[in-house]
Amino acid sequence: MKKLLIVDDAAFMRVSIRNMLQNQDIEIVGEAANGLIAVSMYKELRPDVVTMDITMPEMSGIEALKLIKAFDPQAKVIMVSSMGQEGMVKQAIISGAKTFIVKPFKEELLHKTISKVLGV
Amino acid sequence: MTDQYHNEPMLELFIFESMQLIEQMEQLIIANEKFESYDSDAINEIFRIMHTIKGSSAMMLFNNISTLAHSMEDVFFVLREDKPQNIDSSQLSDLVLEGIDFIKVEIAKIRNGDEAEGDAAALIESLRIFHATIKAQNYTVSDQEIKDTATSQGNSAPKKQQYYISKVRTEPQSYSNSFQATLYFEEDCGMENLRAFGVVNDLGDLVKEYYHIPEDLDHEDSAEVIQEQGFTLFFKTDRSLEEIHRTLSQTIYLKDLQLTQVKNSEPFDDLHEERKILLNDSAKIPASSSREGITNDQKESYSSASQQSIISVSVAKLDQLMDLVGEMVIAEAMVTQNPDLKGLELNNFEKAARQLRKITSELQDTVMSVRMVPLTGTFQKMNRTVRDMCKKLNKDVRLELIGQETEVDKNIIEHISDPLMHLIRNSIDHGIEMPSDREMKGKPRWGTIILEAKNAGGDVLIIIRDDGGGFNKAKIMSKAREKGLLQVPEDEITDKEIYNLVFLPGFSTNETVTEFSGRGVGMDVVVKNIEAVGGAITADSVPGKGTTLTLKIPLTLAIIDGMNIKVGDSRYTIPTTAIKESFRPKTTDIIVDPDDNEMIMVRGQCFPILRLHRRYHVNTLVTNFADGIIIMVEQDDQTLCIFADELIGQQQVVVKSLPAYIKHTKKVTGLAGCTLLGDGSISLILDIAGLFTVKKTG
Repeated sequence: MKKLLIVDDAAFMRVSIRNMLQNQDIEIVGEAANGLIAVSMYKELRPDVVTMDITMPEMSGIEALKLIKAFDPQAKVIMVSSMGQEGMVKQAIISGAKTFIVKPFKEELLHKTISKVLGV
Repeated sequence: MTDQYHNEPMLELFIFESMQLIEQMEQLIIANEKFESYDSDAINEIFRIMHTIKGSSAMMLFNNISTLAHSMEDVFFVLREDKPQNIDSSQLSDLVLEGIDFIKVEIAKIRNGDEAEGDAAALIESLRIFHATIKAQNYTVSDQEIKDTATSQGNSAPKKQQYYISKVRTEPQSYSNSFQATLYFEEDCGMENLRAFGVVNDLGDLVKEYYHIPEDLDHEDSAEVIQEQGFTLFFKTDRSLEEIHRTLSQTIYLKDLQLTQVKNSEPFDDLHEERKILLNDSAKIPASSSREGITNDQKESYSSASQQSIISVSVAKLDQLMDLVGEMVIAEAMVTQNPDLKGLELNNFEKAARQLRKITSELQDTVMSVRMVPLTGTFQKMNRTVRDMCKKLNKDVRLELIGQETEVDKNIIEHISDPLMHLIRNSIDHGIEMPSDREMKGKPRWGTIILEAKNAGGDVLIIIRDDGGGFNKAKIMSKAREKGLLQVPEDEITDKEIYNLVFLPGFSTNETVTEFSGRGVGMDVVVKNIEAVGGAITADSVPGKGTTLTLKIPLTLAIIDGMNIKVGDSRYTIPTTAIKESFRPKTTDIIVDPDDNEMIMVRGQCFPILRLHRRYHVNTLVTNFADGIIIMVEQDDQTLCIFADELIGQQQVVVKSLPAYIKHTKKVTGLAGCTLLGDGSISLILDIAGLFTVKKTG
């Protein structure tokens, strides 16, 4: 089973994503509430894919993405963005994010995005 | 709580988290408003909060909240990035607080299972104007430009190097193949322009010269164009068609791909004007990230913090747990004090029972502590109340908070928040004078309200002290006379009794009803609320100096230490905290006054006696003082001697409220609730404060 790490400072979003993936063939190995925790959890848990919020306290999703990519160039990170964050999404792409998903999104879109990123 | 609320944990979480964030934001704004400017930390924080709420509410399809949050986010975005000077922070605070209120109301609707259909269009328009005003100060460039430059700075990322290449061909030989690719993205993927940007970025070093239609991927409109007409890319590469096809096919959300080889340089030569193509040196950025590398120590501490140490639990579940523990306390008493065991010598049983009792009480303490919440949130909310009142009434009041960390049961907190707000409004409206009047009286221009919480035995005291004009005794008296509220002869009434008249139903000293206080409901509603949780309120006042209101509320509702007593076949429980002493009275100490009121002399002082059997019409053989027992109880500096048949024993009891039909059909006074005793019988819990009023009126 593939492993997923959820990064978001809003518990609501973490639970949303977790619920959406409930019946999917994917194991949620961890949840991080900011970029700093995300980076250390990534190193420890080595997930196959990460959903990464952009605006977070302590360390933003972009910074965390960069650190994760520096640690593991193969890391698959899906940015979770919302309208109005075009500039940051662009930076995330440059920094090596696999793709992004725009809030609000539906369950199916999340499934599709994750399976595509995982190449299933 | 409605069923719907129960069944939808996501909704519950949304409400919980959003409310928490909103309250946090409210505090930030009020704290910052005092300094008449917003510091950058606060701006960041508010921006982030609005961003989170925007995202969450959009996910829940509460679009009105989401849109409003978005416009507030925009304002703080500009504040964060452009740092405009001379902003009207008072106007900003008003707008944002209005927004907070709107969101609060909508969330309340959602919580009640109503449709969140509020319309914030007017507010959004004001925010938009404010947004435009502050932006005009610093910039004359277009929206998008600000956003883009700002975001790259905002992330403290190294400003990406951008350079424009002209169509001058370099190494023409090695990049001999020219292709035209048109990509269509799936409909619901969003931000197509950036998806296209991603495609170009992924091709990276594979291609050399390229340009695309639409040209400008930064503009939001390009997303629509790509959605409808696809994204067309011309490029030169040294790779084969298959290789390129494979790379492009990996594009996520790709719906359709058309890739054709074009005659060498053909499309490029058509372009006479210089194509500006944005290249980003993607290779450099990951390497530079070591710059903000975190130290090993930090990493370790964070990795241990990564395990969740706090979970949020719904209050309904806690209530249920509390109920169960309550049942267990009763069950324990039923087992260990079982009548079948009477007279038996059971050493081992006793030992085991002791152990059970110990664990039960520990379990109970733990569950209680879980339910305890500091008053901080409730107290902080008052800042807002004070602010709004001052603005409307043109008064200047400072609120001082003391002991906010004092903890109270969650259920109780919910009950005291509204009364507190009402009392504080009253203090500002009726108590604190206008600044000019204050100056004339030689007081500082600003009034002070001190809100203090402290523990006192099994209770928490919440004290509201203002330095306003104090209660007007004459006015209270005349009003009370007019309304027929006086129960004590006028020449015997004490100051304190006069002040406490204001808590009686139907009393309000202000003739003119103002917007904030005295909407006809007044103090008696406050009193009812407080009494609903077993609390009491008293007032004291010094004319010209100010008023002190004291709320006494129990730490917790659910389980109390009680003394069980017997009257006839009935059982009663008195909260241990109220008991001063109990003794067998001597007939010689009893005094009867001309009105047949019985009293007892104890150590030179005289106390009224209340015969429980008479009060509750219970048949008992014990009517002689010498055969029964007196329990002296005290509440709010008043003392009463309760006469009962005998003491049964001390025990922790679980407070169950009286069944609604008893409460409504009969006007039962002096009872706080009921409980089950170990032998299965029902005991009525006496409400000591209630007994005093019974004594007085009856």
